[in-house]
Amino acid sequence: MTINKQKNENGLLISLEGRLDTTTSPAFEQELKESLEGVELLTLDFEKLDYISSAGLRVLLSAQKTMNKQGEMKIKNVNETILEIFEVTGFNDILTIE
Amino acid sequence: MAENNKNTVVYRLCGRIDSGNAPQIEEEILASLAGKGDVLPVLDAEALEYISSAGLRIILRLKKNYGDVKITNANSDIYEILEMTGFSEIMQVEKAYRRVSVEGCEVVGEGANGKVYRVDRDNVVKVYKNADALEDIKHEREMAKLALILGIPTAISYDVVRVGESYGSMFELLDARSFSGILAKEPDRIDECVREYVKILKKLHSTHAPEGRLPRIKDRILGAAAYTKEVLPADLGDKLVQMIEAIPERDTLIHGDCHTKNIVMAGDEVMLIDMDTLSVGHPVFEFMRMYNSYIGYSEYDSKVLEDFQGYPAETARVFWKKTLCAYFGTDDEDVINSIEEKIRCVSYAYLIDWSRRHKAAETERGRLTCELWKKRITELIPKLDSLDFKTDPAEHEDPNELTLEAEKENLNRVLEFVDGRLESLGFPPKAQMQIDLAVEEIFINIASYAYAPNKGRATVRVEAAGDPLTATVTFIDRGIPYDPLKKADPDVTLSADEREIGGLGIFIAKKVMDSIAYEYKNGQNILRIKKTI
Repeated sequence: MTINKQKNENGLLISLEGRLDTTTSPAFEQELKESLEGVELLTLDFEKLDYISSAGLRVLLSAQKTMNKQGEMKIKNVNETILEIFEVTGFNDILTIE
Repeated sequence: MAENNKNTVVYRLCGRIDSGNAPQIEEEILASLAGKGDVLPVLDAEALEYISSAGLRIILRLKKNYGDVKITNANSDIYEILEMTGFSEIMQVEKAYRRVSVEGCEVVGEGANGKVYRVDRDNVVKVYKNADALEDIKHEREMAKLALILGIPTAISYDVVRVGESYGSMFELLDARSFSGILAKEPDRIDECVREYVKILKKLHSTHAPEGRLPRIKDRILGAAAYTKEVLPADLGDKLVQMIEAIPERDTLIHGDCHTKNIVMAGDEVMLIDMDTLSVGHPVFEFMRMYNSYIGYSEYDSKVLEDFQGYPAETARVFWKKTLCAYFGTDDEDVINSIEEKIRCVSYAYLIDWSRRHKAAETERGRLTCELWKKRITELIPKLDSLDFKTDPAEHEDPNELTLEAEKENLNRVLEFVDGRLESLGFPPKAQMQIDLAVEEIFINIASYAYAPNKGRATVRVEAAGDPLTATVTFIDRGIPYDPLKKADPDVTLSADEREIGGLGIFIAKKVMDSIAYEYKNGQNILRIKKTI
């Protein structure tokens, strides 16, 4: 998986590429841990993300909880397969998906 | 004083070298080198106290005339001069090694190329038999580092020292005791030793090595068999070589000299030492070396074993048998004997060549031992068709099945295997991805909980049948009985702040698959998931 980061004033855009699973989520979690301080708008671009498992969902939920306290989190360009996972797990109600 | 060794000539430099004595020293060296042809002058600086620029110029001229010069045992003052003047960049300069004495120290391990002594409570030194052991030390260090990176518990040396005329590597090993020492003094701990021994053997034999980093042990044994073949009747010799050639290739680790002197208990930790023979190959080659250590070398005269291991030959035999039973997971004598015959056949192929290499037949005992090996291998070869054996009762050559250590790190191997099977069975990418999701959740569940805090193996089986096509993936483990389907589903209607992190895995698996069924049978957790396209 590749993690791409772009920062502006109070906003952070992270684009993920590949698979967000048990093997790759720890790196993503670490990345978020290091970069969320002071961020008011976190945008995740999933255009190139092919796959997400519960390990990835765990990181998303924990990011959502953090952002609920300090601002807003949005996810854009979610593909159909991942959207289905969000739906069956109720994540589509928790996350802001554009 | 000059000392010849192959094509190097060693000069011991003493005291001070300055403009007063430099011309005389140069003359002596050049005179002794005259007519020697292409040699490498080695200057042993152990007793050298001071060198002036006149002395340095001798070294430069030697380098110019002989292409290269090596300086060894430079003390810190001399080393500093050589570094400042840039000499250490244009020629080989070796620092002086710290001296360590092993007089009166307990021997805690012993391998083919050296003995391990405990110098104090926390430190051991491995003293090499080979006087010019620096290359061996470097090699062993590299092997130990590779093994450690791959997750094999071992010790890496932190310093190279001189012990008498030999080199030694220092290791920090807390309270280290070899299994030989334990078996000699506390024979009732044999079952505990067998358990730890088998655990470490299984770990080795299930660890894949990066390609090209380690020698293939089979090549070495084929080399030995090429000689052994010559001393056997032609038909038997040919059959032996063919059977060894047919042993399947493996990319998993072999310690190569894994007997009770090379496995130590350091504090609570069990570690392997003497990693220089690390290689890759079929476990039959590991067992071959083990058989040699416990029985082979001492097959004619059990005193050989007692002298080497320090415990009775009977203990070695019991330890060997118990190890086989524990490793192969059976007490069935017929099964164990059939495996042991294969191991022994490879052993004798190796030992008969060993006897030649070590000129063992020069003693009466050595000659009779080798005669016995020949007799035994001559009886064994006609009885055998193959030297391969399954290393795990649950292991099959079945292409639909993968058995491996249930560890998170193996997830990608499982997914690759499942995707590969599904693709060849004609499942589209989207179905593959959904099945992947369930596979990941279930495998990670097994890896995290089935054997905790210990480790164990899991089998993943992929099948497809029917029209429309239905994929069935079966997971089998021998861990704690656990039905993951009994766990209540998470409430997916809660808000982010109300929801707990985690607990979604099995729920996702249930949602993406058409059915999931669990049963506990014959000591196995069996979880079957199905999806129809």
